Amino acid sequence: MSQAEAILMGLRVWGGIGAVVAAAFLTIGIDRIDADARGAYVFRPLLIPAVLVIWPLVLWRWYLYETGRVHWHGRYDPPRRSHYLVGWLLPIGICALIVTGLLQRQSWPADVAPVQLSIPTEAVE
Amino acid sequence: MSDPRKHGFFVGYLPIPPALRGFLLVICVLLISGLAGFGLALGTAQDDPGQGAFRFDYGRQTVTGVVELTPYPLLRVTIGNERIPEGHTLMLAGGGKTNVENRAIPLEGQLAQVSGVMLQRGDLDMLQLRGGADGISAAEGVAPPMGTVPLGRWQLAGEICDGKCLSGAMRPGRGLAHKACANLCLLGGVPPVFVSTQPVDGSEFLLITGPEGDHLPETAYDYVAQYVSLEGEVERRGDLLVLRMDPNTLRVLD
Repeated sequence: MSQAEAILMGLRVWGGIGAVVAAAFLTIGIDRIDADARGAYVFRPLLIPAVLVIWPLVLWRWYLYETGRVHWHGRYDPPRRSHYLVGWLLPIGICALIVTGLLQRQSWPADVAPVQLSIPTEAVE
Repeated sequence: MSDPRKHGFFVGYLPIPPALRGFLLVICVLLISGLAGFGLALGTAQDDPGQGAFRFDYGRQTVTGVVELTPYPLLRVTIGNERIPEGHTLMLAGGGKTNVENRAIPLEGQLAQVSGVMLQRGDLDMLQLRGGADGISAAEGVAPPMGTVPLGRWQLAGEICDGKCLSGAMRPGRGLAHKACANLCLLGGVPPVFVSTQPVDGSEFLLITGPEGDHLPETAYDYVAQYVSLEGEVERRGDLLVLRMDPNTLRVLD
């Protein structure tokens, strides 16, 4: 399997699981954990693309709500607590990626000369 | 409520607090000069994309020759023009990322007239054919025999590219930044070209095919745009070299 096929296969598996999660969550789960969603259906297809991408998070949040472990007040915590760290990690990570890519880059092997390994069969004859 | 200016609290629609002026000035200078420097460094680190281009300035080119399949379609020119001389071997491609094999296969070994726009990068060129029979059609006459000169087995170092982008359809038309585009072109059947580090029998560009004179094997796609070494049989068709690669010898260079 080539690298491209492996990446494509990974995306298909991820999206396939996401489709199953989206079908289950948007038909059953959302009614169980969000009273405001009951009886409302038109908006649900709009959530499908996002569920396809972040289905592990959807499953995790669904699990927390179902088991009563969710801290509802946590939803209103300002996210800035982690912003300072993320604010530094993101630019440092981007720069590190670029620098690593440039350092790992191959250099054109101009000094490697073509080598004739064998002369043509017709010439031998 | 206290005056925010006294405490150095920035409010967009109020004058800048004196306590923040120096800090903001330093940040602005660092940010602008830093980004400009970073952009300059990235730009200068890139390889020269070369001078390849579509030669629309030449106008439409129409020549006649013998169609050969390697299996990628070639035209061994027998009646040329001022841009494409007699004896030249032209690689043929369709528009975008397409090939012209379906149109060329019925004409294999026959005289044909081709018409299209040239792509040119130094000694390397290609003709992007017009659509349908306007691009390639049978020509009257008997096709003269076209020889192929075997040059033996060679070990080469260089890069596998798609011939069309390399010839000038894209800039850059090679390198890692172009890998995805190159692979899409190859999937579309565009003739692939191997760029050798040093000339082989006078040419650094070789049309590259599979080991049995078939299409480039899919295992080679992973190596496109990387600097590799490989072995294969080289033959000369007119002024074009054809490399029948041995996929078992493909190796990424350090």
